[in-house]
Formats: sequence, structure tokens, C-alpha cells
Amino acid sequence: MNVYGFAPLLLIFPAIGVLFNALLGHRFVRPDPEAAHNDAAGEKWSGWVASVMALASFTVAVGLFFALIGNDFHMGTVPLFDWIRIPSADFNVPWAMQVDTLSVTMMLVVAGVGSVIHIYAIGYMHGDKGFARFFAYMNLFLFFMLILVSANNYLMLFVGWEGVGLCSYLLIGFWFDEVDEEGKAVNANAARKAFVVNRIGDFAVIVAMILLFWTLGSLEFESVFSSAVELFEEGQRFTILGQSVTIGGVLAVVTTLFLIGAAGKSAQIPLYVWLPDAMAGPTPVSALIHAATMVTSGIYLIARSNVLYEIVRVVAEEGSVWLASPTLVAYVGAATALLAGIIAFTRFDIKKVLAYSTVSQLGFMIAAVGMGAYVAGMFHLVTHAFFKALLFLSAGSVIHGVEHGHHHLGHDDREEEAHEEAHEEAHEEAHGEEAFDPQDMRVMGGLRRRMPTTYWVYLIGALALSGIFPLAGFWSKDEILAHANQHNVGVYILLTLAAICTAFYMGRQIKLVFFGEPRHEAAEHAVESPPIMTTPLIILAALAVVGGALNLPFLTAGMAEAAHNHPEGIFLALEGWLEHSLAAFELSEEGIVNLPLIEPPALKPLVAGLSLLFAVGSFVLAFYVVYGRRPETAEERDPMRDVPVIGPAIWAFAVLPLNTLFMDYVVPAFNRAADWLAHAVDWTFWHDFVHDNVIRDVFVGFANFTSDVLDKKGLDGALVEGTAYLTRYLAEGIRLTQTGYVRNYALGLFLGVVALLAYFLLMAG
Amino acid sequence: MPEVTINWYLALSAVLFTIGALGVLGRRNALIIFMSIELMLNAANLAFVALARHLGDLNGQIFVFFVMTVAAAEVAVGLALIVAIFRTKASINIDEINILKG
Amino acid sequence: MGSFLVFAILAVLAIGSAVGMVLSRNAIHSALFLIGTMAILAVFYVLLNAPFVAMVQVAVYAGAIMVLFLFVIMLLGAERLGGIGAGSRWQIGLAMALGVALLVILGIALFRGGATAGNPEVIDAGPAAFGLRLFEAYVLPFEVTSILLLVAMIGVIVLRTREGKK
Repeated sequence: MNVYGFAPLLLIFPAIGVLFNALLGHRFVRPDPEAAHNDAAGEKWSGWVASVMALASFTVAVGLFFALIGNDFHMGTVPLFDWIRIPSADFNVPWAMQVDTLSVTMMLVVAGVGSVIHIYAIGYMHGDKGFARFFAYMNLFLFFMLILVSANNYLMLFVGWEGVGLCSYLLIGFWFDEVDEEGKAVNANAARKAFVVNRIGDFAVIVAMILLFWTLGSLEFESVFSSAVELFEEGQRFTILGQSVTIGGVLAVVTTLFLIGAAGKSAQIPLYVWLPDAMAGPTPVSALIHAATMVTSGIYLIARSNVLYEIVRVVAEEGSVWLASPTLVAYVGAATALLAGIIAFTRFDIKKVLAYSTVSQLGFMIAAVGMGAYVAGMFHLVTHAFFKALLFLSAGSVIHGVEHGHHHLGHDDREEEAHEEAHEEAHEEAHGEEAFDPQDMRVMGGLRRRMPTTYWVYLIGALALSGIFPLAGFWSKDEILAHANQHNVGVYILLTLAAICTAFYMGRQIKLVFFGEPRHEAAEHAVESPPIMTTPLIILAALAVVGGALNLPFLTAGMAEAAHNHPEGIFLALEGWLEHSLAAFELSEEGIVNLPLIEPPALKPLVAGLSLLFAVGSFVLAFYVVYGRRPETAEERDPMRDVPVIGPAIWAFAVLPLNTLFMDYVVPAFNRAADWLAHAVDWTFWHDFVHDNVIRDVFVGFANFTSDVLDKKGLDGALVEGTAYLTRYLAEGIRLTQTGYVRNYALGLFLGVVALLAYFLLMAG
Repeated sequence: MPEVTINWYLALSAVLFTIGALGVLGRRNALIIFMSIELMLNAANLAFVALARHLGDLNGQIFVFFVMTVAAAEVAVGLALIVAIFRTKASINIDEINILKG
Repeated sequence: MGSFLVFAILAVLAIGSAVGMVLSRNAIHSALFLIGTMAILAVFYVLLNAPFVAMVQVAVYAGAIMVLFLFVIMLLGAERLGGIGAGSRWQIGLAMALGVALLVILGIALFRGGATAGNPEVIDAGPAAFGLRLFEAYVLPFEVTSILLLVAMIGVIVLRTREGKK
């Protein structure tokens, strides 16, 4: 009896929601083009069914959580059905769900935050003509995301991976019919960009899976990890493309490819360019997919593959493999964190700032898992899900309020106000009154009086993100910094700088949005959002406050002691919880030894104090000094630009044509690599030959034979037309004998008489 | 003087029949072709009567009787047809009559 | 079966008359030659112990049928129509060849096997015996023949009637 047997419900509930809204949604939500709003009761049905399904999924996740506790944290597998079986290759990919502490953590975050955002979206999407479609996509996203985190093999994970990519595409381009003043479909283009950029990462994941199957003969996590360790201890060598490599070398390549995959999904250098554009989607989408859940699947992938990374770390320290992928991961994450943090200085769009902030925070997580601090990375993932979802939803609330203020003024020009200001930095000076953008922070200001609830939750989110004690972000970010301080000084410096940036741009944002005087009539008339939107905000704010309690350092410290006494069954914090799913290795004389993850106190007072000091200082600097006297408006330059040396430097850096660089260098390089690999693999497997010569030619030949010879010549020609031709030919001949002259008939008759007489009288006689 | 056997009669019958056949094939006057057919019938009748005498059987003569009846009917219809054709085509030359051409 | 001399003279006359019928340019001459042939055949019938058939031959053939022929010939004025050598050369050649072949075949058949054993007895073939046999054994064919003649008569009338309507 499997105590996790109810796990499939986790997937079934969102699937029901998808079917409901996809098949029946249009019956409930009837857009009324004249009144520009929907049938209110119908909206309730559509939205609440989706939300209840998400909540039901969350309930299942909670059930799995308690089942895990009751089962002493033992990993469980729930097989659903066989998917791919190739007996000859001993290859078997089941469709099975893995229930362990890591996956359940992700399930709780995904379903929990997802439920809150679903409820929020009922209010936010009110009146949209695609209401039911929106909720169908959202539930579909939940479905795929839960497949991703509950998979017990890489292929099933990849199905979820692609599925969430699809949902991301659909939701970024949700308002696909909107165009900017140049007539470009900006939202649809943003969706396409996200999809195409993600292909690069997905391609890397596919190649990594092929390599894993090739060398380890399986794709199931359990057997991949166990056989990887086994083969590593045996020192097995493989021949790949003519090169003899150790398993460590193979895994170095695999893990590097996973990094590329994670860079695509989690928006890391060099593939981060899609995420800021992805803000074209509705704000709940930005919160759920592009902040809290989908973009963290790269971190999940690396954390899930921790055994592989640890093996590579061991061989890299040993010096037998030059490609130290874990270190690469750490540096990619740290560099992304800093780069995105700097770019965030220069954005005016309230959501774009948050988008770059997300890229930056994802960089923190990637850096953490790259350093082997999987728990710290997952910890930050969870707290970030809370406060970044909170920030996005609050930003949505702000936008909602400003839009209402704008409506109030009677400037009801939906097309104008709803469009995304894509090139704001290009012509910020020319940004005038007529092109009103409710997401532009320069038209806001003073909103704390108009929208008090939103203000407070936004402030909590911003402080949590900045890493102010004692909010959630402080604990999780500090744990990462502590690890970096201990393991890698270069990463530590980069991350500290990124943390300073974080506090600064959040201080700027708070100041610009909520303080000062309203800089636009719309901001003056902004209204607070309805309770259905503010209630989820309060829930998330509470989580952002207390989220740090999940893994308080002194708890872990006490636990380290307990762990030595009770190796099984400890669960006091995330550290002890995740320890059951994660691994750490060390190379000793006997080979690999599994180390306990729990380390002595992660809290380093010096590191923590320093980062807190930096955060507060940076926040205050932004709030009071740089933007204190003169908040920028549409007409005036950003005051930051007037700060000597640093200001111009940041601006120069931030407006680097990174998008162009990406399109000019990364995409062609990827194309070339893919091209080369395709040919190499083709030749290796005689793929072309088998395809073109054996399968295609034989098939085409046979088809040609049946069609041209058998059918056209045989059936049509000989039987059908042949009968007709023969009849006609014979008739043409015989017709000549029918002259109509009696004499000829008589001659024939006479000939017959003579012949018959000759026969009867001479022969037969 | 040799005795006149049945074979002589049959030979005479054959000769008359052949002459009649050649008349059918060689003439183009429909009336003469008709007469040639009558000659062929008479040749056959001669064979019948000769064989009836040879076998001492009256049935042969009765058959001749029926042949004559049929011939009478045939001539009546045939001559009516010839008259009809002559009315329409103003000719009884069978080489000019080929409306049965296929 | 009569003497050879009588047979020979009559046979020569019959053949000559038949040839004359075929070769005559004048249709009336042809008809008269045919009447001659038929009359000679009637004599043969008498010689072959078939008096009733001989009488019918003269009355029906030479009398009724041939008179009908002459009547039509004169009605149409078709005495001079058509000569010998009709059709193309190969048709005439083929017809002659077939005629010769027929004679050869029959000749071989006649004189190869010799005469079959016959019945030399002279049976009673007078009108009374003929009539008895006809109405005893051949009543049905006799009646069918009467219908045949009736149909022929109707046919001729129909042909003429439709012609007249035109």
C-alpha cells in the first residue's frame, strides 16, 4: 500500500479546471462588446472553478507533505502508467510521480502561490474578453508545472518543462491582438521571443538527456544517480564521438548542458533577454509564471540533479576534468544577479523593474545551487516566490488603480493606455501626455494615500526583497551570502554588489510610486483595488514576513546536533527537510562518501550584519538622497544620472545593446552548434542513410509501384481500359466484315457449308 | 449401259445445287438470285425423292411436300420485299443495297 | 429407276437448263429456263415412283411460283437488269473455287463408299397412300404449315399496305 497513492489527484484537479474552462468557459463568460464587461455571475463560475481546482491541488500537496512526515521522509514513487518501453535496449520510461521532500516543497510553492494568484486574478481580469481562456491557460500551467516537479524521470520532467514553456508563450501573448503605434504586435512578439529563446535551453536539455541515456542507460532519477555513482567509483570510460571520456567528463558536459537549460528557463546570462519582455502578459501571469514558479524550474532541475553536480565537483577538485560546471553555475548566477540588478536601476516601467529584479534573484538561487548550497537556493526560491509574487500582484494592483484613475478622467482610450511602452528608454524625453502608460512610474507618486493596503504590502515585499531584517528575504539571501563567503569569494563579491543594487532599486521604486506628490491626474484619482485582490496580497505579505522562519539559522544549528543522534526522522526546518532528497559528496580513499548536508551554523554574524548594513544604506540612499528631493517625471532626467561617475556609468552599461548582442552572437552561435551536432549525430547513427535510403526510398518505391504499375497500369490499364480497348479494337475489325452486301454474307455462308460438308463427309466419315 | 443407281441422282442433285449456288453468288439481279435459290431447293428435293425411292420410304416425299409449301410462302414474301425495295430505290441490284452495313 | 439412257438425256437437259437460267441476260429467259428444269425434275419424280410429288411440282412450282416470278419481272420491267460478274474479282473467284470444292467433296463422298444397301421394293406412293401418311403421321406439321402460309399472306398484305400509305 502506497501512502502516496493519492498523488495523481495533484495533476487531475488542474486538468479538470482546464477542461472546464476550455470546453465550457465560453458558455459562462459572455463578453459584451458594448458594455465592455462580462456576465459577472459567469465570471465567478469560470474564475472560482479554476481557483478551487488550484486550491484542491494545494490540498493534495499538503496531504503529501503530511504523508511524507508520517512515512519518515522516505521517498515514494507513484507509477501511473508505462510510457516508453524499448525492451531490446532495456529502456523504460514510466509515467510516474516521485514524492520526496524536494518535489513536495516545489508542489507546495507552486500550488500554494498559484492558488493565491488565481484568486487575485478573478479580480484583476474582471471584464477581460478572454476571461475563461485566461483561467484555462493558468490551470494548464499548474498542470504542467506540477508534472515538472513531480516527475520521477528526466523525460517526464521535460514534458512539464516544455508544457510550462507553452503556457508561458500563451500567457505572455495573452493580449496578442494589441499593437503599438508602429503597428507591431508587441505582445505576440514578446511571446515569440520567449519561446524561441527557451528553445536554446530546451535543446541543451535534450542533448543532456541523450547523453545520460547513452552512458547510464536510464532516465529515471533514482537509477541515473545510483548508476552514476557506481560507474564513477568503477572508473568506467565511454567512447563518445571518438573520444574516450570518464563518467566524470560525461557528467561535466551533461551538467553544463543542464546549466544552459536552466539559463533559458530561469533567465540567466546569456538567455535572460526574454524575461523582461515577458512582462507583456497580464500581471498575475508575471507573478505566477515569471516570478514565483516557472522561472525557478531551472533551479529545481539543478537541485534535482545534485548528485551529478556533486560528482562533477569532486572530479573537478581532483583536477581530472577541466570543465568545473558547478563553479560555472555559481559564476553565471552571480554575474546575472549583478547585471540584472544594475539594469533595473534604469527602468521606468514598474513591472520591468520587478522583472529585472527577478532575473537578479534567480541569479542568487543559481549561484547558491552552483556552490552546492542547495538548501539555501531552495530556501531563497520559496521566500522569493512569496515576496516576488506579492510585489508583482501589488504592482498589478497599482496599475489597476492608476488605470481606474485614468478612466475616471474620462480619457477612455483603451488601446492607447493598455499598450506596452516598449521603447521607453529610447525616447524618454519625448514621452508625452497623450501616450499614457499606467505602468510608468513617472506618472505615479503619492499613491500611499490613495491605496493604503497596496502600499503596505508593497513596502513589506520591497523590504523583504531588499533583505531587511527580519523579513523572509533577509534570511534566505543571507544564507546564500554566507555560503558564498565560505566557498567562493568572487561569487560573494558579485552577490553582495547585487544585493546593494537590489535595495537601491527597490528604494527608488517605493519612493517613485508611493511617495511625493502625484505627478499625473490619473495617480491623483487612483482607487484602491477590491478585496478579492487585496486579500491575496495580505496573505502573501504575511508569508513574506514569516517565510524566513522556514530555515532560521539557530534552528539548523540545533538540528545539526540532533542529526548526529537521530539521523532519521529529523524535521525542524527546511534544511533537515530537504536533506532527505539532496546529497553532498566528498572524495576519500575509499571513493565517494556521502556527507550529511547539515552544516554548522550558516549564520555568520559578520556577513549578515554587513549585508544588512549595505541593504539599509542602499535603500536609504535611494529613498532620501538620490530621489528624495526631486522625483523624476516624464519631463526630467532621472536624478540618478546626475550622480557623478556612477550615474553615467550605470546608464551607459544598462543601455548596452544587449538584445542586439544576443541576436547577433548568441543565436547564430547556437544555430551553428545545433547544425554541427545534427550532422555529427546523423553520421554517427547512419541516420540519413537509414532514413533516406532504406525507409524513405523503399516506401516511396513501393508506393510508386502500387500506384503507377499496379493501379494505373494493372487495374486501370489492363483490366478496366484494356477491356474497353479490346472490345473496341475487335469491333473495329469485325465491323469491316459487315458490308451490308448480301453477296458477302452469302459467300460466308457458302464457305461455311463447304467447310462443314468437307468435315462431315471426308474427315468424320 | 450401266445401271442407274442412287448415286447418279445424288450427283445430279449436287450439280444442280452448285449451279444454283453459283447463280446466287454471281448475279446481281435480285430476281435471278431468287430463282437460283429455288433451283437449289429443287436440287435438294430431288435428293429427297431419290433417297425415298432408294430406301422405299414415303417420308422423304412428304418432306418434299413441306419444302414446296415453305418455298411457296418464301417466294410470296420475298417477291413482295423485292417489289417494296424497287419502289423505294428504283433498283433491284443487290450491289446497291447495303443498308445493313455495320 | 429408269434406264441409263433416259436418265442421261434428262440429266443433261436439266443441267443445261439450269446453266441457262443462271447465265441468261434476260430475266424472263431465266424464268423460262427454270420452268424447264422443274419440269424435267417432275419427270424424274415420276421415274422415282413419286407421282403425287411430280404433280405438285408441276402445279405449284412450275405453275404458281414461276408464274408469280414472271408476273413480278414484267411488273417491274426488270428483264434486263444486272448481268453476270457482279461484285469484285475475288468474290467471283472465291465463289467458283467454292463451287468446284463442293462438287469435288460430294463426288468423293458419293463414289468412295459405293451405294448403300437400299430397298428395291416399290412402295405405294399414290395420292391416297400419300394423303394417309400425311394425315396420320404429320398432322401437326401440316397444320403448322397452314399457319406459316397464313402468316406469309398477312406479311405480304402488310408490306403492300404500308407502301400504299406512303
